[in-house]
Amino acid sequence: MSEWLESAISRGQKIDDWLTPKRTRALELLSTTQWPTRKTEAWRYTPLRAIQNTKATEVEATSDLTPLAIADLAAIELVFKNGKLDKSLLASNLPDGLTISLGSELAAQQQTQAVADFSEVKPDRHLFGLVNDALAQDVVIVNVEAGVKIEQPLRISALLSQGAESHTRVQITLGEGAELAVIEDVQAQGDTLNTAFVEYFVSPKAHLEHYRFALQTGSNVSVGGCHFNMLDHSTMHSTIVAFGSDLSRLDTDIIHSGEFVDAKLNAIYLLDHNELFDLHATVEHAMPNGTTEENVRCIVGGKAKAVFNGRIHIHRDAQKTLAELNNRNLLVSKTAEINTKPELEIYADDVRCAHGATSAEVDKQALYYLQTRGISRAQANIILNFGFINELIDLMPNEVLAEWIRPIIRQRFSSMKVN
Amino acid sequence: MSDNKSLLTIKDVYASIEEKQIIKGFNLDIKPGEVHAIMGPNGAGKSTMGYVLSGRDGYEVDSGTITFNGKDLLEMEVEERAAAGLFLAFQYPVEIPGVSNLEFLKASVDAIREANGEESITSSELLKQAKAACKQVNLPLAFLKRGVNEGFSGGEKKRNELMQMLLLKPKLCILDETDSGLDIDALQMVAEGVNSQRSPERSFIVVTHYQRLLDYIKPDFVHVLADGKIVKSGDASLALELESQGYAWLETHKDEESTEG
Repeated sequence: MSEWLESAISRGQKIDDWLTPKRTRALELLSTTQWPTRKTEAWRYTPLRAIQNTKATEVEATSDLTPLAIADLAAIELVFKNGKLDKSLLASNLPDGLTISLGSELAAQQQTQAVADFSEVKPDRHLFGLVNDALAQDVVIVNVEAGVKIEQPLRISALLSQGAESHTRVQITLGEGAELAVIEDVQAQGDTLNTAFVEYFVSPKAHLEHYRFALQTGSNVSVGGCHFNMLDHSTMHSTIVAFGSDLSRLDTDIIHSGEFVDAKLNAIYLLDHNELFDLHATVEHAMPNGTTEENVRCIVGGKAKAVFNGRIHIHRDAQKTLAELNNRNLLVSKTAEINTKPELEIYADDVRCAHGATSAEVDKQALYYLQTRGISRAQANIILNFGFINELIDLMPNEVLAEWIRPIIRQRFSSMKVN
Repeated sequence: MSDNKSLLTIKDVYASIEEKQIIKGFNLDIKPGEVHAIMGPNGAGKSTMGYVLSGRDGYEVDSGTITFNGKDLLEMEVEERAAAGLFLAFQYPVEIPGVSNLEFLKASVDAIREANGEESITSSELLKQAKAACKQVNLPLAFLKRGVNEGFSGGEKKRNELMQMLLLKPKLCILDETDSGLDIDALQMVAEGVNSQRSPERSFIVVTHYQRLLDYIKPDFVHVLADGKIVKSGDASLALELESQGYAWLETHKDEESTEG
C-alpha cells in the first residue's frame, strides 16, 4: 500500500458524521485494496506516481477563487472551493421543482434516503471513488421533481488553489419525466489533487444532458467519476472534453437499469506536452431494448499519452440492445502515445453491436480536395484535424456551450505542433 | 497549334496510375474564353485527365508537357495550380464532416488571395459573396453552416462545387461529369451557373459522357477521347453526331489504328 493511501485512510477514520456507515464500509474496502501497479488492468497505462508524489493537502477554503466565466451562459452555480461548497454563491431563489441541499443539513427522513443512495450507482471497483466516499466533506443533494424541466443548466465547479486537495461529491436525482442539464468542470492552479464524483439517478422518461470539462492541465492530479443509473425510457446525452495533466483520469458508468434507455456519450481529448488523460467508460446493458452510442476522439501531440478503455457489457437478458462504440485517434507527433481498448462482452443473442478503434492520419481524399481549392497541405492538415473533433462539438445540444468551447479547443489545437 | 495566347497547352502527355498507363499521347490547346467538351466512353481516361491537370497524388506524368498561363503546370503543387486559376469541379465531391462550408470557403478564398499577393477577405464580405453564390445556384443558405458536402444529395454536391467556382473565379474550370446523377432541372441550373461565368478571360473543359449537358452549355470545340488520347475533334455538331451514333465506332477506329500501327 502507498503512503498516500495510508494517510487517506487514517484521515477518513477520524471523520465521524451522518455518513459514517458508508465511510466505514469504504474504509474497510480500501484497507484490503492493493495499490495499483502496472499489472493492475484498470491502471495499466496510467501510473499513479503523480499521486504518490503530490504535495497537495487538505486546506481551508480560500475566497479568491472564482469560477471561469462562460460567455452568455446563464447557469445555476454550484461552486466548491478546495472541496467545500460555497453556499454564499448558491442562488437563493431556485426554479420551482429544483432543490439543492447539503446532505448533513437534511431532515432525518431525507438524510436516510441520501445515505441509502450514496455509492449506489458508483461501483466499488473505483479505488478513488472509495477514497472520495471516505474523504468527501459533505454530499450535495440535487433533486428535480417529476415532470419539471429546468431551463437553466446546473453548473458544478470544483475550484482548487495552489497546494489544495479536494474531494467533492454530488448526488442528482431526476424525477419521472424531469429534464436537467448539468455541467461539471474543474479549475486548478498548480499542484493540486482532486477527486470529483457525481452519481445520477435518472427516473423513467427523464432526460439528462451532461457535460464534463476536464480542462485542467499542468501539475494537477484529478481522478473522478460520473455514474448514471438509467430507468425505463430515460435518455441521456453526455459530452466530455478533456485536456491532460500530470494525471487526469475519469471513470464513467452508464447503467441501463430500465428498458428502452437511450444513452449517448461523446468524448474529445486534446493532449499535448507530457499530459495524460485516461477515460474508462463502462456501459452496463442490464435490461432489454436499450441503445448506446459512444464516440471517442483523441488528438495527441507532444509526448502526451491518451488512454481509452470502452467496455460495453450486454447482460444475458438485455435482448434487442443496440450498442455502438467508435474510437478514432490521431497522433500528431511521433512521441505521442495512444492506448485504446474497446471491449464488448455480449451474453444476449439478439443484439446489434459494433465497435471500432482506429489510429489514423487524415483522409487523403479530403486533403487533396482542400488542396485543389488552394489550401496548402499543412493548413489542410490542420483544418481536417480540427474538423475531426469539431464534429463532436457540433453535436453538443447546448449551443452556448459549444460556442464557448470551440475557440478554446481551437486555441489549444493551434498551439499543438502538427507534423 | 499553340501560341503565346494559349491558356492551357497539353503536349503529348502520357500519364499513369500505379504504373498502368491511362493517358497515351494527349494533346489539347485552349485559349481564353473557349469552352471545350471532352466526351468519350467509360474508361477512356476522361476523369484521369482532370486529376492529372489538378496534380493529384499517384497520377504520374510519364512524358509530355503542360503549360498553364505561360507556366509549367507539372512543376506546381496542387494548391499552387488552384492559386494560378485552375479549378476542378469533382464528379464525386468529398464529404468533410466537422469543417463547415463557410469555414472551408474562407480558407480557400484566403489561400488563393494570399498566393496572389492580396489581403484576406473579411468574414462579412465573404458571407455576402457566399450568400449571393448560394442564391445563384439555388443552394439553401443553411448549407453554408453544414459540414462540407456532409449529407448533401448528389445534386446539392454539384451545386456546392459550382458555388465554390463562383467565389474563386478561376481562369480554367474543369467540370468532371458535373451532369452525372442530375435530373433535368438540376442540369439546367448547373448549366446556367456555368454560362453566367463564361467570359473572354475564362475557359472551360466540360468532361461528359452524354451530349445532354451540351444542349445547355454550348461548346466551341468537342473532342472525343478514347484509350487515353483525343481521336477526333470538331465543333458542337460532333456531339450531336456522337449522340446518334454512340461510341461504338471508336472500336472500329481502334482496330484500324492498331492495324496501321
